[in-house]
Amino acid sequence: MGNVLVWIIWVVAAFACVSTGIAVISFTNPFYSALALIGNLASLAVLFLLASAEFVAAAQILVYAGAVMVMFLFVIAYLGGRADAPWAGGPRWLQLGAFVVGAAILIEVIVALATKASGGLSSDAEISRSFGSPAEIGKLFLTDHLLAFEITSIVLLVAAVGGVVLGMKTLAEDEA
Amino acid sequence: MLGPSTTWYVAVAGVLFGIGTTGVILRRSPLIVLLSLEIMLNASNLALVGFSRHFASVDGQIFAISVMAVAAAEVCVGLGLIVAFTRRNMALDVDTLTELRG
Amino acid sequence: MIAGAWLCLLAPLAGALLITLAGTHLSRAAAGWISTLSVFVGFAGALVAFLQVAGESADERSHTSTAYTWLAAGKFQVAMQILVDPVSLTMMLIITGVGGLIVWYSMGYMKGEDEERRYFAYMALFVFSMLMLVMGGNLLLLLVGWGLVGLASYLLIGFYHDRPEAIAAAKKAFLMNAIGDAAMALGFFLLIAKTGSLDFSTAFDAASSGQLSPNTANLVALGLLGGAVAKSAQLPLHTWLPDAMEGPTPVSALIHAATMVTAGVYLIVRTHAIFEAAPNVQHLSAIIGGVTIVVAGLIALVQWDIKRVIAYSTMSQIGYMFLAAGIGAYGYAMFHLLTHAFFKALLFLAAGVIIHHLAGEQDVRKMGGLRKVMPYTHAVFLVGALALAGIPPLSGFWSKDGIIASALAEGGVLGYTLLVLGLLGGFLTGAYTFRLYYLVFHGEPSELVLEHAGGHMHEAERAHGHGEHAHGEGPLSMLAPVGVLAVLAAIGGLIVIPGLWEPFLTWIDGVAEPLVTASVTQDYATSAAAVALAGIGIWLARWAFVAGRELVPASALRTVFEHKFYFDEIYDALFSRPAQLVANRLRDDVEVPVVQRSLGEIGTGVKEAAGGTARLQSGLLRSYALVIAGSVFVLMVVFVAVR
Repeated sequence: MGNVLVWIIWVVAAFACVSTGIAVISFTNPFYSALALIGNLASLAVLFLLASAEFVAAAQILVYAGAVMVMFLFVIAYLGGRADAPWAGGPRWLQLGAFVVGAAILIEVIVALATKASGGLSSDAEISRSFGSPAEIGKLFLTDHLLAFEITSIVLLVAAVGGVVLGMKTLAEDEA
Repeated sequence: MLGPSTTWYVAVAGVLFGIGTTGVILRRSPLIVLLSLEIMLNASNLALVGFSRHFASVDGQIFAISVMAVAAAEVCVGLGLIVAFTRRNMALDVDTLTELRG
Repeated sequence: MIAGAWLCLLAPLAGALLITLAGTHLSRAAAGWISTLSVFVGFAGALVAFLQVAGESADERSHTSTAYTWLAAGKFQVAMQILVDPVSLTMMLIITGVGGLIVWYSMGYMKGEDEERRYFAYMALFVFSMLMLVMGGNLLLLLVGWGLVGLASYLLIGFYHDRPEAIAAAKKAFLMNAIGDAAMALGFFLLIAKTGSLDFSTAFDAASSGQLSPNTANLVALGLLGGAVAKSAQLPLHTWLPDAMEGPTPVSALIHAATMVTAGVYLIVRTHAIFEAAPNVQHLSAIIGGVTIVVAGLIALVQWDIKRVIAYSTMSQIGYMFLAAGIGAYGYAMFHLLTHAFFKALLFLAAGVIIHHLAGEQDVRKMGGLRKVMPYTHAVFLVGALALAGIPPLSGFWSKDGIIASALAEGGVLGYTLLVLGLLGGFLTGAYTFRLYYLVFHGEPSELVLEHAGGHMHEAERAHGHGEHAHGEGPLSMLAPVGVLAVLAAIGGLIVIPGLWEPFLTWIDGVAEPLVTASVTQDYATSAAAVALAGIGIWLARWAFVAGRELVPASALRTVFEHKFYFDEIYDALFSRPAQLVANRLRDDVEVPVVQRSLGEIGTGVKEAAGGTARLQSGLLRSYALVIAGSVFVLMVVFVAVR
């Protein structure tokens, strides 16, 4: 029973994932695309939960869907009409190439999985109850992966500074 | 493990990655390109989480969180660029940015 | 004695180096003195060596002195050594003696010319090179001297480098000599291959003991003969000698009469062992000599340039020497070399006095009647002419007749043919020499002569002082050597009187035994015939002059002679034009399109490739993204496949 439930939820979430993904790249209006992406993120969070990654799922909703997408929506709103861009265009081969490459990568992944990745994905390991819990993540961040933690914070700092600089009104611009 | 095995998670990640790639190359608006980029990053996050579950190692999730942080930073800078375009009255069209022409 | 020999070799070299290094710090006269004195010091050294060697018995007369090992390549070794024996001593004395007189003469002749110091340095260099040639103790050093005299000849012929004719003549001489050098080198290579060494003793012993196969001996001898023919201006490599008269007259006297052109004769005498092992080649050299005697004599009959007549005469007389060496009469070959050096140098220098007096005029048609104006020159020239024609008791008579007698003694088809050629040559010599004599000295003085004559009506035995021709026939430095040579030309032949006294022949015999000796009867018989023919030639020349006619009446014949039997034209058509054609073809088809254009093509090609590659940089961001995505796909496939 539990298994069936999990399966059903999983299928629904996966389906939502893929369809919202397709929706993101097909809408003309960027606002709709951004909203579709929020849906995508939410379904991904469900999938994370099903994979016992609770903290990551929470972070996904809070940070990604909550902050990043909101920022996106702000900018799209600010841009208003100017955000409308032609859907596609340009060289034919480029458009064709886009689909080809996307399909190629997809097929390649499926093929790799179908061949069972040479037996790499045969057996799932057992996990403990605290797998994916914030305590676990915190412990690792502050011990094994301390460097990654610190560098990530520096990256965020740099991005913040960069964002401010990009958004600054320069003197030349003022005159213009 | 309850539900689908790791294979399915990775499959979905692959599909999402393909969709993201198509979007990056196909669309002309920089905003949509950024959104497609987000899809690709999320796809990799999904794969990471799936594998972390498979090998019972939390390192995968740590990696996923770092990716998320970096993606946030990147979006911040990217949107700043787009706003700067608008400030300078440049068209929001990736095909017009040809100064790298050799 | 050995010290004397080394001094002889090195003194002129020292002189040349000194003049070269001192440059303009030396005055011009000082350069002349240094050059002359260095050669005379060499003569002193040679004289000392000669006196010592003359006192030794015939067996002991060959001395070798080694300074150091010059070249060592495995088993092949060449030492820096000199050989002092009768033959080389004879040559040394001639070179430094006559050479010294000529260099002294040049001090007066070249006075005031451009770049005098260069001339004197070259003259000293030449004397050194020629000495190296004759004193070299092995074939390689001989070749070194051989090449150096070719170089000195080139430098001196082209001395007046402003004149294109002089430069062309120098090039021609060098090229034709190079053909001979190449032949000689090939012969030497063969010798090294077969005997492993270039020492005289090894080579000659191998030749005389039959170690060398007939083919080898023939080829080596042919190579040597080729070199000798080129250097001595015999047919067919003779066309450079008349052109070489573009050089200053003392150069013509020293290089192209007395010494360098006789190097071929020296070579044959020195390597006679190899020639005796290849009798066909030896006879070939005699035939070449014989033919050259006649051809050169015929051409000399119609020349108008005083120096060219004497040049063809040189060619002809060397033919006599080749004839002698070819039948094995080595003693007489060297003897004629000696006497020829005296009277030919005398004739050239006397001609030089005339040319100098007439301010550079060389055309005999513009001369005439110089007998009254230049009595001293007239006297010495007459002595030289008589010696050349072979009139007893002057030197030329003794040597030339010895050769003709040897031809008679040889007998057989070869001997009798050579006898006829030699006698004919005697007739021609008398004719062309005295044609020249009469044209220059007899008759009414020409306008040119009268122009230059004004002011020296006083007839002095010897002109006094140095100075312009207004004060006499020429400066002392010019007239004195001429006088010495005249004396030598007159009495120099008396060292061989057949049947009575033959010290010179005995002197040479120790080194090169003659293959044929004429009996006294044969000697006197041929002498009579030769003198008679020479007399007829002289009388004919006088008759033609007095009658105002040409010696060669048939105009067709005369044209052939005037064009020197068309040798120049034939060579031009056979060698020069095709070479030019090939060179032009190569330039147009290979050099310009391939080499030159390819340089341009490389540039254009690179630009085009770059242009093509640049089109990849379209500036279209999406295409870049496509390429990146494609590469990622490829990499993924690779990773999966490799696993």
